[in-house]
Amino acid sequence: MTSAARAVTTPSTDAAPAPAPAPPSPVRRRPPREEGARDEPRRGHAARLRDLAPVLVPLAAVVGALAVSAGLAALAGAPPAEAAAALWDGMVGTQYAIGSAVNTAAVLLLVATGFLVAHRAGLVNVGGEGQICVGAVAATAVGTGLPPATPAAVALPLVLLAAAAGGAGWAAIAAWLAVRRGVSEVITTLLLNFVGAAVLVLAVHEEALLRQPVTSSETLPQSAPLVEAAHLPLLGLPGSPATVAPVLALVVAGVAALVLHRTGTGVRLAAVGLSRPAAHRLGLGVDRLRFSALTTAGAAAGVAGGVLVASAPHVLDDGLSSGYGFSGLVVGLLARGSLAAAVGVATALGFLVSGGINLQLAAGVPASLTQVAESLVILGVAGTAVWAVRPARARRATPARRRPTPPLPRPEATP
Amino acid sequence: MIDTLTDLLAAGVALAVPVLVAASGELVGERSGVLTMSVEGMMLTGAFASVVGATTTGSALVGVACGAAAGLLAGLLQALLSVVVRANQIVTGIAANALALAGTTFGARLLLERGTVVPGFDRLPVPLLADLPVLGPALFQQTGLAYVLLVAVAGLGFLTSRRTTWGITLSAVGEDAASADRAGVPVLRVRFLAVLVVGVLSGLAGTQLALAEVHTFTDNMTAGVGYLAVVAVIAGSWRPVGVAVAALVFGLAQALQFTLPALGVDVPFALLVMLPYVLALLAVGGLVAHSRPPTGLTTPFVRLGRAA
Repeated sequence: MTSAARAVTTPSTDAAPAPAPAPPSPVRRRPPREEGARDEPRRGHAARLRDLAPVLVPLAAVVGALAVSAGLAALAGAPPAEAAAALWDGMVGTQYAIGSAVNTAAVLLLVATGFLVAHRAGLVNVGGEGQICVGAVAATAVGTGLPPATPAAVALPLVLLAAAAGGAGWAAIAAWLAVRRGVSEVITTLLLNFVGAAVLVLAVHEEALLRQPVTSSETLPQSAPLVEAAHLPLLGLPGSPATVAPVLALVVAGVAALVLHRTGTGVRLAAVGLSRPAAHRLGLGVDRLRFSALTTAGAAAGVAGGVLVASAPHVLDDGLSSGYGFSGLVVGLLARGSLAAAVGVATALGFLVSGGINLQLAAGVPASLTQVAESLVILGVAGTAVWAVRPARARRATPARRRPTPPLPRPEATP
Repeated sequence: MIDTLTDLLAAGVALAVPVLVAASGELVGERSGVLTMSVEGMMLTGAFASVVGATTTGSALVGVACGAAAGLLAGLLQALLSVVVRANQIVTGIAANALALAGTTFGARLLLERGTVVPGFDRLPVPLLADLPVLGPALFQQTGLAYVLLVAVAGLGFLTSRRTTWGITLSAVGEDAASADRAGVPVLRVRFLAVLVVGVLSGLAGTQLALAEVHTFTDNMTAGVGYLAVVAVIAGSWRPVGVAVAALVFGLAQALQFTLPALGVDVPFALLVMLPYVLALLAVGGLVAHSRPPTGLTTPFVRLGRAA
């Protein structure tokens, strides 16, 4: 076998029907597909390790990403110990830090919940950022327009509903294009991010829209504050800025989990996600399901935008969503379809973001390091996905798929 | 009126060059069956590396080399992910963009000082032709780098047209990788190379933006131009001429941001900023129904009977 041909075939050699002793090469890193019961008696440490691969491999990717980030922090002139101390302090050092980390986690969880609902139907919602922006604009329009005497029990739901409607409407554009014109929702939601961000900028720069009355040249381009009744109430912990947002996010995630895993709708969405033609044959309204899945995702991200506006300082400005859309997507991807996992990942990321801000303040490391870590984690996890296939699923699928196609003779096997 | 048109065209063509260069790379990649969403990140990386290279050595040409090399490295990463380990191309592309954005922002804090002069490329009017009314400044008053890049893009277009062996190989791999493989075409090698081409051209597109247009590096300076390049390929129906037209339209739409306020037209800036993206949405929404992407786009290739 020539070296080039070998490079071409190595990643898959181990799945060949007659497993020869694996050569000492990268091949070993990949769990060989198991051949039904034939391998059962030989299960040892290696097999057990393989069963753990879906957990271990992503974990290794996360650890690797964090190690690289620590190296970068050192490059920026912060000794690891100092950087770690600053990070830790920013995460859990004070009641204030914990509160704001939990608030961030709530926003991420909302976006991720929407992502997971759409993902169940086979749609990838990359438009969290734009949906947050438009949701926030809608929430501000309602929240600043309400009469000051509105009771909170009316004002707050109204504001959040407006946010949900804004986000859903924004996602509906992409959903309509996907369903009616067959345009990939990845492209459209991405483009809508840029348009949505511009809508937000437009809204806070034009007095005719949402900008606060310009009284002097120093009037900032931001909206007037929301009426008192529309502010998200604090949880009331001493010294903590934690609002009811985490509770809200948990409720939304809980409802989504119930719908996805315990109702017919959830099964129908999953059917559409697994195979559109098959779902169509079953008589499911595939288009309607896909449309509603993506708009639901938009609604959840919109609520996240509403939550951001309704938290201190209760105004809309053009720096409102700095990357929450992407971070929410990260949470959704890492959670791999599980809302319980999403809660965990969102919490972890919320604390990491919060710590990253302190890293900049205390240790002088640019806060973009947090985003570096986030994207490295995603690249690592996505890049190792091939090795992290659940063995159980492979066991079921592989023999059935392989039987009708005997391995092709390799033309380049004989040099 | 004529003056305005001249200005608009000149600015539009200048802004279309980076989109076109990146899009023609992306076209090669997509025709081979790999969707490279990380064009945006590659452009940003190229822009950053070119500015770092140009400021540290004082030579714009070294800057170009750095930009191309950085694009190549980014392409290498994406090729490893998309072709070799068969990761999800969309997810890794978007994550790579986020990495490039965060990484260059981080790097700019460490390596670049505000206010340093960046050696760049000046406008190079072609004698006589540059004085043509309306079209002269647009076509014959670009920078030297832009001319070179345009020639390279045209050359790439010919080399990979559907009449050359390379072009047919590229299409075969993108349309039906299994058949191409059986015919003896090294599918993975073709795809790997195609993604490297995307990387180099995107890096050069970023270099053009940084060294010839903006003359500095700012955080997130590409601000979505890379995505416009990806959309230009779709809107241009995977044909070089269509892609060039789409790139020109996006360039003109971006140029309106600068020419309309200069004319005193009172349009909110944010509306002008969103214009290219609205056009892009209309383009994919209106045109995709009439064209067909390469059949194997985003499907990683594994030889049959070898693995799941």
